[in-house]
Amino acid sequence: MGWTFNNPLFSLTTADQNKAAKDVWEGESLGGIAENNNPLPRPVIGLLLLTFATAIALTFPLYGQRPNAAIYLDYVSLMNSTMVQEVMNDRQITHHEANSKAMALIEDSLVHFESPYTFQREQHPIDLDQLRVIAPKIIELQRAGADLEQYSVIGPEVVKANFFNIQADGTVIAKQPWWDKGYEISFWYFIGFCLAVIITVKRLPHFSWRPDHSIAH
Amino acid sequence: MLKYLFAKEDDIPQGSAAIFFAVSSIAWFIIGTGLGSFNAAKLAFPDMFHGLYALQFGHMRQVHVHAVIFGWIAMAFAASMMYITPALGNTKLWSEKLGVWNCLLYNIGLCLALALLWSGITSGREYSDHIWPIDLYIAFIMVIPWCVNVWMTILNRRTQGIYTTNWFFAGSMLMLVIVFLIGNMPEFLHLTGLNEAYMTWWFAHNVLGLLITPVAAAITYYIVPKITGNPLYSHRVGHLHFWSIVVFYSTPAAHHLMSSPLPEWLKSFASVEGVLILVPAVAYVCNLLLTMQGRWAMFVENIEIKFTITGVLLAIPLNMQGGFQQTRAINWYIHGTGWIVAHAHLALLGFSTFAEAAAVYYGMQVLLRRKLWSASLANFHFWMLLIGFSLYWVSMTISGLIQGAAKIYEVPYVDVVIAEHPYMIVRWLGGTMVFFGNITWLYNMIMTARAGDPVPVGRQPAEVAYTR
Repeated sequence: MGWTFNNPLFSLTTADQNKAAKDVWEGESLGGIAENNNPLPRPVIGLLLLTFATAIALTFPLYGQRPNAAIYLDYVSLMNSTMVQEVMNDRQITHHEANSKAMALIEDSLVHFESPYTFQREQHPIDLDQLRVIAPKIIELQRAGADLEQYSVIGPEVVKANFFNIQADGTVIAKQPWWDKGYEISFWYFIGFCLAVIITVKRLPHFSWRPDHSIAH
Repeated sequence: MLKYLFAKEDDIPQGSAAIFFAVSSIAWFIIGTGLGSFNAAKLAFPDMFHGLYALQFGHMRQVHVHAVIFGWIAMAFAASMMYITPALGNTKLWSEKLGVWNCLLYNIGLCLALALLWSGITSGREYSDHIWPIDLYIAFIMVIPWCVNVWMTILNRRTQGIYTTNWFFAGSMLMLVIVFLIGNMPEFLHLTGLNEAYMTWWFAHNVLGLLITPVAAAITYYIVPKITGNPLYSHRVGHLHFWSIVVFYSTPAAHHLMSSPLPEWLKSFASVEGVLILVPAVAYVCNLLLTMQGRWAMFVENIEIKFTITGVLLAIPLNMQGGFQQTRAINWYIHGTGWIVAHAHLALLGFSTFAEAAAVYYGMQVLLRRKLWSASLANFHFWMLLIGFSLYWVSMTISGLIQGAAKIYEVPYVDVVIAEHPYMIVRWLGGTMVFFGNITWLYNMIMTARAGDPVPVGRQPAEVAYTR
């Protein structure tokens, strides 16, 4: 296993070992099959990088993670306001109309306040019927002093999120960092893979060398 | 076969094990697709055989799945490995006798396993349906002897290098043993809940991703250069394919459970790795298609290349679907619909089956030293398989999209059943075409063994396919 690091992007293998590899490559017939020494085509390298970027972009957590309970707290407060309750209890209009009107009032009011949850609210719209179901649970958690960002809304349930964000002091927060831990692993995994492949292919004879298949065949 | 069970190793002709496995695989393919056609008929016409407990869909589905995976696909793989591995090492199979016993006990075990499934004795886990005694039989009587034969043949090779195909064969068999024994742990350890679900899909994912697709690809790595006479386009791209399968496709099992309460970080990680299946896919497809340079006429003229390259081309939509359908947004729409059934058939009946059929066609001609009895019947088989599969795939994909839309918009279930009825009929027609195509294949191969013209010494069957 002769290694050389003089010109790592050209070859990681010493000249004598490269010669031995070329002799084997040209001299033996693998069941009548031969292999060429072409480089990884550049479009393939481009596709590899594009694939990684696509993988990250497509699975970005903001496009799929569950809503946390904190983003609906203002909805719950406004739903319980007199103005909205009047609309919700208006017997002159249908249930569906009352819902739409009440939700429009809530959303109009929310526009006037700065909130860190604006984007997530757009990602996870909610209707009044579902809000009615989760509201008591959110209020109960708020009274208990819970951090609502650590709770996920899953259908009619408000449950502790299953994130395990371990802090430096050892405590665990069930809250997802915005970049998501799954990505950190993916980045290291991908970098590790690329390094391993680069080392593997640079240990082979350089791709400028063309094997002569007439020797063994 | 029986006369070789107790014969001396040197008295068993080389290639016997491969031929027995190949013939068994075709027979199981007919049984498996026959069961598939029957099941599809039950879905198209639900009142058929109404009231007969043993013929209900819930009993028959697993039998179809396991007859096809363990009977057709795995035995065709075994057949391929038992003649390709020694050929690539310029040696003979480590033990023909072990191979013959392996084939006999494989068939007996499979009959027993399917009989138990049919009678309703199952673990209840999709893809790992067998009860634990059968799991142990499969692992130690059916799979490990096969692995030992392949590994020992590679270790005893008379070449210094190991060709790409044999990396995949040896690697996939190692991963299969690990995946099978660990993946069936829920059965041994009585796991329940999320652990059971995750382990079940870890097994299901890996048995497809680390055995079926890589070995099918390995077969094409052999068939295309061997028959065209072209060198493989790139040894390096072969490395990229092999290692990216190992690295990226052993990790994304959680993408089967995107809506489950698994940790979000695990689902994100699995989803990213799931998209990265496009890395080996791109490497593999470009390597094989570039190897075809200057020999594209064989795609029309040669039956093995026709099957192989069709399989390679089907790997493109397979991996495009596979890469993207498990992302959260798309999975939300198609999870639990016929789309997934279509995708599974694209992998097993599309890509994998076409590659294996080529290997069995080629292997039997080479080992028997006889050319195909009827090229016309082989072409008929090809088109029955391709058209039948295409009808199945397209109809199930459409039906899956309908189910997805209905799921999202909360359309009443009975309306969905009515909307799907035509597609269920097309699915049945497609599956039945595959079934009848396979019967002609078995007939053609039996006639090849009995009455095929001998292939002259030193010639390839492909070279004399059109000579009289």
